[in-house]
Amino acid sequence: MEKKVRTVCPYCGAGCQLDLVTVNGAIVRAEGAPGRTNENELCLKGLYGWEFLNDTKRLSPRLKKPLLRRSRDSQFEEVSWDEAIGFASRRLMDIKRKHGPDSIMLTGSARGPGNEANYVMQKLARAVIGTNNIDHCARI
Amino acid sequence: MSNSIPEIEDTDLIFVFGYNAADSHPIVARRIVRAREKGAKMVVVDPRKTESARVSDLWLPIRNGANMALVNAFAHVLIEEGLYNREYVESHTEGFDAYWETVSRYAPEEVEDITGVPADQVRQAMRMYAAAPNAFILYGMGVTQYGQAVDVVKGLSGLALLTGNFGRPNVGIGPVRGQNNVQGTCDVGVLPNVFPGYQPVSDPAVREKFAKAWGVDSLPEKPGYMLTEVPHLVHEGKLKAYYIFGEDPAQTDADLNSVREALKGMELVIVQDIFMNKTAMFADIILPATAWGEHEGVYSTADRGFQRFRKAVEPKGDIKPDWEIFCLMATAMGYPMHYSNTKEIWDEMRALCPLYFGATYERMEELGSIQWPCPDLDHPGTPYLYAGNTFNRPNGKGVLFATDWRPPLERPDEEYPLVLSTVREVGHYSCRTMTGNCTTLQSLADEPGFLQINRADARKYGLKDKALLWISSRRGKVLTRAQINDRTNQGTVYMTYQWWIGACNELTLEHVDPISKTPEFKYCAVKVEAIADQAWAERYLEEEYAKLRRKLAEPVG
Ligand code: SF4
Repeated sequence: MEKKVRTVCPYCGAGCQLDLVTVNGAIVRAEGAPGRTNENELCLKGLYGWEFLNDTKRLSPRLKKPLLRRSRDSQFEEVSWDEAIGFASRRLMDIKRKHGPDSIMLTGSARGPGNEANYVMQKLARAVIGTNNIDHCARI
Repeated sequence: MSNSIPEIEDTDLIFVFGYNAADSHPIVARRIVRAREKGAKMVVVDPRKTESARVSDLWLPIRNGANMALVNAFAHVLIEEGLYNREYVESHTEGFDAYWETVSRYAPEEVEDITGVPADQVRQAMRMYAAAPNAFILYGMGVTQYGQAVDVVKGLSGLALLTGNFGRPNVGIGPVRGQNNVQGTCDVGVLPNVFPGYQPVSDPAVREKFAKAWGVDSLPEKPGYMLTEVPHLVHEGKLKAYYIFGEDPAQTDADLNSVREALKGMELVIVQDIFMNKTAMFADIILPATAWGEHEGVYSTADRGFQRFRKAVEPKGDIKPDWEIFCLMATAMGYPMHYSNTKEIWDEMRALCPLYFGATYERMEELGSIQWPCPDLDHPGTPYLYAGNTFNRPNGKGVLFATDWRPPLERPDEEYPLVLSTVREVGHYSCRTMTGNCTTLQSLADEPGFLQINRADARKYGLKDKALLWISSRRGKVLTRAQINDRTNQGTVYMTYQWWIGACNELTLEHVDPISKTPEFKYCAVKVEAIADQAWAERYLEEEYAKLRRKLAEPVG
């Protein structure tokens, strides 16, 4: 059975709307949808840009587990979320205590994550860490 | 953008400045084609004979790095020839005298040596622009990626103000920028000086409102650092930790060597992303997130439209949506944070942002797209800004702004005789981990990418089409492949920035615009060297590429 999910292309600010067509939980194609900016049209990126979700590994692999490196010259090892979050938060708190909140820099992401994730990121920076050191690569 | 993407179709004149729609935004390019079919005129300013330049009525082949001088010359012509809208300027703008004081020194004849554009073409362009009942300015990275970027953007707005091209449909000025959600990231306050909804961190009332909503005693009032300042701040010992969310500065930022030094200089680097990338190789901890297609939320289009995107497939592996990871981090740091879904987050933000209050999930579902400002629940959204020609200033007037041209920092010389400018290419996207992993798109172009070079220059340096070559600047040296291209100008070579082996940002300069802090990607001095043993070069390329891919694959197992 084919299913269609209406979504927005993640590859440029034109914000074309499209339907992702799935069969048995895997995407098989994309179709242009009647969005305000694109009115059913899509370019190549909109039509084929979903292929990375099938983890082609052509360039680099998807991350599947939190990875931790206990020192800069050791290898990455897979760890549980508890350990990863515990490690990252403890180290951040230490640095905040020692050097102040403004010694920490955070970025947002102007790509796939979306507005809500970015809102929460800046809240983490401002309300939890206590710094306005948050920026993204709009300039690039 | 002051106006909407669909309005491009119904304007009378499209004025394209340093923007290549065909390569950056194909759907915008189609709107331009349709406008042309309906009779719109088109003027293009670009050093290269781009696709748009090829089909335009008038193409101004500007010299690289001369933007401000040309924009001032445009203003000069509009005023000197009396082409501007006097009535509009009197009622809706301010600063005319100081403006004229500056631009009066930029007669197109006087600055021909700087701009490289014949004066009569500059005059003709402005006569066309002023004569059009409605004119739409589109600009892109040919403007924003220079050391003098913000000035030029204000200068272009000045042209629209002088001619009264604001405050109604089918006019205005639009930056059409690179990544899909740059607009959204700004909208929700991922900027060092504003909270969500463009509310300044320096305003005590705004800080109090957010502090109360977020349940904290106070919020920091000092604006934060900008990303492009990072290398230099690490060097000074001011930054110790870096939490990098969905970006790849070790590939996309200028002067990669200094970026790598900065990453090494941090005591802690946290990377949260979907793929292994060059930056993650410097991390202490990597947090794996779900990707587009595996989670939901809202993006903003370049023309301020909020649109919902949805989950189509289940994520594979032990990964989480970004916002859930942030909640875990906040909670572990002593600030319990919990949301059940993205709608809850959106509703919290809406309630704090008068500009977005009426854009609910339900209404986005119903309308498909809602352009902010949308202040209340039955507001239809705002396709164009500045209705009634009221601008976002206390007195409602638009400012006419001009300033002197500043030459690019690093000029070509005997040792590095060519200018390198970085450009974008159809099919690939920024740091490429998403598109590079799409089979169809990957086959469009492969490592190490290309160096576009004019035929005469190629002959001068002994480069054959498709041959591998070395290109170097004072900062680095990379391998790339020659693409002899008659549409590019002599003396300047062009590279796209997504390649791993042919990484042009090994060469670029960290010199930034004093306000926007955008690095000068579009201008640095380089030299090229032919490689005699092409068989060796091809082998070397293959080995390096395989090595790099192995290195990235290793940690993931
Ligand atoms: S389909 Fe093409 S033009 Fe439309 S948003 Fe995607 S990348 Fe941009």
